[in-house]
This record gives sequence, C-alpha cells and structure tokens, in this order.
Amino acid sequence: MKFKKYIMAASVLMMMLVAGCGGGASADGGETFTAAAAKNTDSKINVQILKLLVEDQTKHEVDIVEDLPASPQIFAGIERDEFDFASLFSGEVYNNYFDDIEYTTNPEETLKKAQSRFGEKYDIKWYDPIGYINNYSIAVKKDFAKENQIETLTDLGEFADELTLGTDNAWIERDNDGYSGFQDTYAYQFADARGMDVALMYEGIANGELDVVTAYTVDPQLKEYDLTVMEDDKHFFPPYEASLVAQNSVIEEYPEVDKITESIVGTIDTEKMTDLIYEVDIEKRSVEEVAKAFLKDEGMLD
Amino acid sequence: MHVLTDYFQFWSEKYASILDYMTEHMIISFTVIIITVFVTVPLGIYMTKLKNEKIKGLMFHIANIFQTIPTIALLAIMIPILGIGFTPAVVALFLYSLLPLLRNTYAGMQSVDPEIIEAAKGMGFGTFERLFKIELPMALPYVMSGIRVTSVYIISWTTLAALIGAGGLGDLVLAGIGYNDKFMIFTGTILAIMIAIFLDFILGKMEKKLSKV
Repeated sequence: MKFKKYIMAASVLMMMLVAGCGGGASADGGETFTAAAAKNTDSKINVQILKLLVEDQTKHEVDIVEDLPASPQIFAGIERDEFDFASLFSGEVYNNYFDDIEYTTNPEETLKKAQSRFGEKYDIKWYDPIGYINNYSIAVKKDFAKENQIETLTDLGEFADELTLGTDNAWIERDNDGYSGFQDTYAYQFADARGMDVALMYEGIANGELDVVTAYTVDPQLKEYDLTVMEDDKHFFPPYEASLVAQNSVIEEYPEVDKITESIVGTIDTEKMTDLIYEVDIEKRSVEEVAKAFLKDEGMLD
Repeated sequence: MHVLTDYFQFWSEKYASILDYMTEHMIISFTVIIITVFVTVPLGIYMTKLKNEKIKGLMFHIANIFQTIPTIALLAIMIPILGIGFTPAVVALFLYSLLPLLRNTYAGMQSVDPEIIEAAKGMGFGTFERLFKIELPMALPYVMSGIRVTSVYIISWTTLAALIGAGGLGDLVLAGIGYNDKFMIFTGTILAIMIAIFLDFILGKMEKKLSKV
C-alpha cells in the first residue's frame, strides 16, 4: 500500500512538472517564448534584441537560454520544441547535418541551402541575414605579419612549419571547412595544432604561446590584441551569415512576432557588430544594456 | 546494423587521430597519478608523525580548498601562471587529487594499533624498520584504495584538459559537441571509461600481490 501511495505522489509530481514545462503564459496574458543562443556574444546580442522588441511591442515575453555549447545543442532543443527562436549561422549547413550537401563558399547559395534544408528538416523559418558575417578566419600578430610581409594564407604557408595554431576543439575535426580541408586547399600544415576554449585562444596568442589562431571575423579581440586576419586568397572558409530562426508553428499562431523578427533583418553590419561585441567582451557591459542602447540609437525602441 | 557499419567506417577513417587523443590522455593522467602517489603518500605518512595539530589541520584545509574549486575554474586560473597545454593541466589535476589520497593514507596510518607499534619498539625495531615492515603493510589497503579511487577520478577529469589545449580524449568529446558528431562523443567517452576500468583492474591486481608479501 505504501508503494502505491509513493507511485501516486510521484506521478502527480511528474504531471506538475510536465505542465510547468509547456510554454507558460506571461504575466499580462501573452505567451512566453524561449530564444536560444550559443556561447558567442553576437548570438546573445541577437536574441536579446528580439526579446526587447517583442516585449516592447506585444504582450508576450521571451526567455533567453544562452551559453549553449554549439549549434547541435540548439537544433536538438528546437527539435524537442524547447526553443521557439534561435540565432544561427548559414555556414552551419555544412556542419555534418546533411550527408548529401554540396560544399560551396558562395554566400547566397549557402544561405539558400541553410534556409531550405534546415527549414525542411526542423520545420523552422530561417530569416534573411541580420547583416553581419562571422566567418572563421586565420589571424596572426600584426608585428609578425608586418615583419615578414605576410598578407594572405598562401604567404603564411612559408612560415607554417614553425608556427603553433590555437583553435576551438571542433575545427581540427571538421571535414569540409576544418583543418583537413584547409590542408587540402592550401597544401601546408602548422607545426602544432591545439584545440582549446575560444576565450583562452586569445590569451594564448597574447602571451606568445600561440602564433596563429582561428579567429571569428567579428571578434573584437582581433583589435584588442593587435591581430591581423590573413586574406583567404583561395576562398576556403565558408560564409557564416547570422540569421534568426523561428518555429513555423509559433509564427503561424503569432504573426505579430514574425513581423518583429522580420524587422531585425539587415540591421547590423559586420563593423557595427564588432563594436557591440567590444562593448560586452572588452568593456564588460551587459548584453541587455548594449542591445538596448543599440535599438535606441536606431530608433527601434523608445 | 546501419549504425554499426557507420561506426566501423568512422574508426577506419579516424583511428590514427583517435589513438593520438588516447595517448595524450594516458600521458597526462598517468603523469598526474605518478606525481600524486609519490608526493601525497609520503606526505600523508609524514603528517601522522607530526605532533603539531595546527599545521596538520592547515594542510588538510589547503588540500580541501583545492578540491572544492570547480575544475574549469582551476584550469582557467592556471593559464596566466603556467600558460596553455600540458603543464597547467598536470598541475591542476595534481592539486585536485591531493585530498582523496592524502586522507586515505593518513587514515590508513592512523588505523595501525598503537600497541603493535609499542610492541615493535620493544622488540628493538628502528623508526624506518617499523614504518616499512609494520605500519605501511598494515595501512596498505587504505592507501591502495585511495590510489585506485584517485586514479579513476584523474582519468575522468583529464577530459577537461582539452579546454586548455592539452589535448586528450576531451578533445574528441568537445569536437563531437561542436561538429554534431555523436560517434566522436561516444568514442571519447567510452575510451576514457575503458582506460579507467583497465587501470583499476591493474591496481587491484597489484594490491593483491603487495598484500600477500
């Protein structure tokens, strides 16, 4: 008998939990959406902008889930209907999601592929790009580049066998746009390639332990640590254009939110995004503060 | 079946780099285990001989504090001091493994009945003779179980070394997380488990052999 009671209590608790998980109602009668962003600051800014605009213009609320390790975890959340919105990149379409995808570094084609393939697979709307590009790139110290007159990745090959590369843990193992593809395209490799946390990569090059890093093109650390991005003269790196995405079922039910998300398209170019990230990463202001200030400057928020 | 053939193909494509990751992992964890054993066991023994309770307490407190720092934080703290890669990973993991082994060694030495020691003294045993012929053999089960537990911990913690550029199986797991490849995550995890089980097995055998002597 005791056991039965136990089961009863457990199932009641479970039901309460399940009920609590569903998209709850916000305080003033609207819906509460969930928006997801990975660890990179630009994605956090994007979903913050969405949150501020949605909460300003509608009765709905947006909860942000950020610092997810990478895109696969975001897609997993979308698939389980845990996330209604997310900030993602077009180049992700080459990230081992589809076996039969044709690799190209053309930005328009990459975007089209991301919109159609991800749209179909996850039943989401992939909006047009926010406006900035956050590609992988290879960067070295400015002094080193000047001293040896290196401008392109081909030039860098001459020195590669003395250089240590720091990169994120995934790049070494990526097929198309990773280290092995890089070696095929440029026909050289570095003396050593070490995977690590991205934030530490910059500390590593600043204190001289690394010579080369795989930077993202919007990273303000490029400026902060005096790094130069090598020109990708053989067009190896795929374009990473940021877009917001939304569950089709959500925007069909709430077209007003679709309109707001649409209004964010094309608002931030690469230079502007670098400035915004600088405010957060280097000046240590909060993402919310920076996003709010940006929207006020643009006249999108009072 | 499809999964199995895919997984087989994954291994045939990647086995060279998988073995590299595994070698790195084993080098880091074994280095830490060896350093820990050679530093901590003598330290634990020394502490049982120490009369000053305050210093003893302080030493345990320090070891305790290292144990409580979140792993990622400790690794990050190491970067400005020791840089990136092998050295900071080894030092950080060593600091973590101090406490479990220190406690076990200390408890093992304490467990030796003082009357036996007195009897040994009466029989004319010197300090070192007493230590090696009586106290250590009696404390051995404690010390060995400390070494076994610590070794298993260390092998698991070593996966975090990938965050600071030291490589190891954590690299494979993190690459799998970023690159959407479940095989990588699975392989990194299962190999770390296998190393731990294997080492525990070897240490178990060693313990049996030593306790017979």
